[in-house]
Amino acid sequence: MKVALRTYGGLAAVLDPRRPPQVLDTDALPEAAAAELARLLAAAGSMPEEDTDGRARDAMSYTITAEDGDRVTVLEQSDAAMTPAFAALLTWLRKHFAQR
Amino acid sequence: MSRTRPVNCIIPPYILEKLLDSEDREERQAALDTLLVTARLRGERAIRASFSGAAAPGVGRRTVFDCEEDEFLANAVLARTEDGPESADASVNRAFDALGLTRDFYKEVFERNSIDGRGMRLDGYVHFGFQVKNAFWDGRQMLFGDGDGKEFSDLTGSLDVIAHELTHGVTDHTSGFEYHNQSGALNESISDVFGSLVKQWSLKQSAEEADWLIGADVYTPGIGGDALRSMKNPGHAFNNPKFGKDPQPDRMSKFVHLPDTWQGDNGAVHYNSGIPNKAFFLTAVRIGGFAWEAAGSIWYESLKASGPEDDFQDFATTTFQKAGELFTAGSHEQSAVLSAWREVEVPVKGVPVGVARVRSFAVDGNGGAGRMDGSAALAKQVSALNDKVETLAKDVAALKGAR
Ligand SMILES: [Zn+2]
Repeated sequence: MKVALRTYGGLAAVLDPRRPPQVLDTDALPEAAAAELARLLAAAGSMPEEDTDGRARDAMSYTITAEDGDRVTVLEQSDAAMTPAFAALLTWLRKHFAQR
Repeated sequence: MSRTRPVNCIIPPYILEKLLDSEDREERQAALDTLLVTARLRGERAIRASFSGAAAPGVGRRTVFDCEEDEFLANAVLARTEDGPESADASVNRAFDALGLTRDFYKEVFERNSIDGRGMRLDGYVHFGFQVKNAFWDGRQMLFGDGDGKEFSDLTGSLDVIAHELTHGVTDHTSGFEYHNQSGALNESISDVFGSLVKQWSLKQSAEEADWLIGADVYTPGIGGDALRSMKNPGHAFNNPKFGKDPQPDRMSKFVHLPDTWQGDNGAVHYNSGIPNKAFFLTAVRIGGFAWEAAGSIWYESLKASGPEDDFQDFATTTFQKAGELFTAGSHEQSAVLSAWREVEVPVKGVPVGVARVRSFAVDGNGGAGRMDGSAALAKQVSALNDKVETLAKDVAALKGAR
């Protein structure tokens, strides 16, 4: 499974075009990490999105795409309104990409 | 350049009217408050100092929370309160101090009591999320990430960024500029304008001395001399191999068109803010002196007089009108506003044909009968005002004595 994280907006939104998606392949992960990521993805996908009240300014938004064969899951949420499951997934990905 | 302005240029005409006409005690008090602010602007700190202890406690009280790298505010830990001790955590103290400076700026310069004008509490959250390269206003509070150490260092390290975020709250409670397309770019610009003014005010820098940069202290810590945005030179804040060149436009002919989506920065709000940012910079340097005084007052009054859907031209027109109200039509200040918007290619509506002529009269001193009448009227106005200022100064002395 390929998982990609794209980040948009925020105080430095003008850098968006210069922020390539961060991508990982679960085949390259240790088994436990791959299982953990799959669990986080499933949890984030099953939790209904929070409504944004539109009052946030400079908030970042995130698109997480998981591609498993023909099955593509796209999750999109913002700092302004984020489910706990999406936040957990995002933090996991951030920590993973920070290590590299 | 430092200019000494006649008193009628500092106290707005509408307040003048109140000063001159009011018998009402409360109105006199309001005028007195304004006088104190204006007196402070002229550096007469002694008068204000006698009142500094008179401010009621509990207005814009600060609370800083530590998110401990979590994204959930409910899990955040209380780290510092208004009356509590300093924290051992530098990020907490920086956020606390910057929120205080911003609150004091609005109070002392514009007599604004916190974000909503009614003493709204100031809640800041530091260490938001894991290496979050951002600071934002969520509609109620300010959140600051730690940065990743490459694109951004800890966002609490920038006073202008913190003041930028707090000002989003002020805009919400005044014009309510909608956060997309031109009104969104105005929303962004207002945050940059007052963000930069808070920094200039705290450093007591004139318009000429200020760097007019946003985020210089936190953006790309490994690269010196750059910033996230430059109000003086939009499009030239940064230029590096990783992030390319600053794409902000500095005039309408370079306006950036992007879709009104998250991915399109809500219609390029962080791009096109460069245009009104440059207009403010030009206004401030052309007026000279401290930017938060004349230029800041014009922009603040215009913010309060604007509506949610106003575009660049609407706002330019409002600033022109407010400059006329605050400093008289055809004044140096109003001419500075007009020339600034013209330079960034935003047309101002309703400019009287006579404005340029009045201006040239003032410059070449070629006064006819009409001008003499104007001068005589002005002299009379100033004289009447001086009488009132003296009366108010006595009020101040009396109050001081009563304390
Ligand atoms: Zn902003």
